Amino acid sequence: MKRGMLLMILLLMAIHGLYAAVGCDLNDPDRDVKRLFPASTGYKTHYVSIQQKGGKALLAKVEQRLGDKFTGLYETMDVPYTVYEIYKGKEVIGYIHGVNQKGQYGGIQVFLALNKQGVIQAFYYQKMTNQAAKSFRSSEFARQFVGLSGQDFASYDPKAGKLEGSLIKIKNPSVKAEADFKATLRGVKKNLILMQEFGYIK
Amino acid sequence: MPSLFGIAWKNLRRKRLRSLLTIVGIALSTWVLVSLLGFNQGYENSLNKDIDNLGFQVLLTAKGCPYEAATLMLKGGTGLKYMSESIIDSVIANPQVEKVTPMLMHAVFDPNKGESGGITAFLGIDPTTYPAMKSYLVFQQGQWFDQPEALEAVFGYEAAELEQREVGDLYLLPEAEVEIKVVGVLKRSGTQDDGTIFLPIKTLQKVYDVEGKITSVGIKVQKETDLTAYEDELYKMQDVQVVSMAQVKQTISNLVATARVMVMSIALIAILIAMVGVMNTVLMSVLERWQEIGIMKSMGAMTSHIFKLIWFETILLTFVGGVIGSIMSWILASVTDTLIRSVLPYSPTSSLVQIDILLALKAIGIIMGIGIISGIYPAFKAAKIRPIEAIRSTDGEI
Repeated sequence: MKRGMLLMILLLMAIHGLYAAVGCDLNDPDRDVKRLFPASTGYKTHYVSIQQKGGKALLAKVEQRLGDKFTGLYETMDVPYTVYEIYKGKEVIGYIHGVNQKGQYGGIQVFLALNKQGVIQAFYYQKMTNQAAKSFRSSEFARQFVGLSGQDFASYDPKAGKLEGSLIKIKNPSVKAEADFKATLRGVKKNLILMQEFGYIK
Repeated sequence: MPSLFGIAWKNLRRKRLRSLLTIVGIALSTWVLVSLLGFNQGYENSLNKDIDNLGFQVLLTAKGCPYEAATLMLKGGTGLKYMSESIIDSVIANPQVEKVTPMLMHAVFDPNKGESGGITAFLGIDPTTYPAMKSYLVFQQGQWFDQPEALEAVFGYEAAELEQREVGDLYLLPEAEVEIKVVGVLKRSGTQDDGTIFLPIKTLQKVYDVEGKITSVGIKVQKETDLTAYEDELYKMQDVQVVSMAQVKQTISNLVATARVMVMSIALIAILIAMVGVMNTVLMSVLERWQEIGIMKSMGAMTSHIFKLIWFETILLTFVGGVIGSIMSWILASVTDTLIRSVLPYSPTSSLVQIDILLALKAIGIIMGIGIISGIYPAFKAAKIRPIEAIRSTDGEI
């Protein structure tokens, strides 16, 4: 008993400094994968980071494609991204990938379910803090993203936030929450770029 | 007429290399001895400091109340039980208590977390007492709020990472939908504080309408207090449960005691090695000077003169070696610290090897004591030399 207690203390004291940046995982992968890909029979989880896949050069490329810099304490090169590779039998039928995005009142977790070509099949806010969060999390809002891909977001400028081309159809559900609407679009664009740069979609 | 000390010093200089090597040996033993004693002192002090930094030693909560955020989450944010703030007065009235800090844990259902909502827990703290109790909490950004009713928050690192909050950002309190400003983000501490959102207790009470209520009281007792006896006193209070750090403290104390025994054993070995080394060197010197000592005696040197001469040589050797070793250990303290840290499974945060002048003097005293003891036999052997026999033979024998 004493030895166990001692080991526990040593372990607790030794775990300082063992942490790294935290990524964005599904809260309940088994349930969420089935919900986002009803035809799926299984999935594999991959952890990738910009640091691991190309370092500073890749970061610069992602920032250039995004049209914005990675900023703040938490949007860093070492953030591990979780990619769920979805299977139907032995065949890969798509991917689920989420990113953390800074919102006006809290973190926004933007998840996309993509087919193998990188076309959005489903959009899901795992987390959002805003007075208008209910409208943002509505199925009407999520449906607006279905069918879009990286190409549709290629010319979108997250700083200006002006919607053009096929993005015009995406309507902000709350005028008061303009900042979170723009943050969401930035998150979606970042999500799609990372999936391309990590090599999961063309 | 030269003094006995003068002659002893001269004798040591005649065989410079041997004297030097002996001094180096003694210096190394002293270095080990001082470093070990310094470690013994430093390790205990550092561990005590770390224990103090754990904050309060006793946590008082309402009976059956989940006192950890993790338990609260598992229970789905339910089951919180409150105590009246007035309990603080009865706790602080006890002279064994050094400090107290009231806390209010409040769990709120946030419908915008996950697929079907989740729990967010907040910890209301008193900005005048809590930061001093949790001095190990270091800020990544900003600082603690200082106003008891400020609409401000401090985020533990993981909470801040999840909410992507930095100093100056806003945060919306779920249910109440009150905007608060982030004034601090803590560095990782490896404790449950990493996932905590701290608010001033008065603010939390007001926003969620639980004024005058608290969920726990952190208690730090005076150093000399018998924690177990004090906890027994607390159990006499009605409808409270006591969460104690006594077992952890006891285990750490046992760890210190074990380390002390190990350290003292190694120190004893270092002392014995030094003792045998000194005795061997001086004895060799006596044997080499067998004839010379015989001549000195035939010229009128008394037995006591020879005894003192050899003894002084030993004391001189240990004194010089002791001083050099002490200086070495002081200069190399940080190297020793690093070496020990690399092999210890857990090292306290502050200095592991604490060497002060008193410790150095103590070590020199011990080493000279070794010199005095280990010099007796060679000195006695030299003093017993018979002049005629010594002059006849070339070498002495034991």
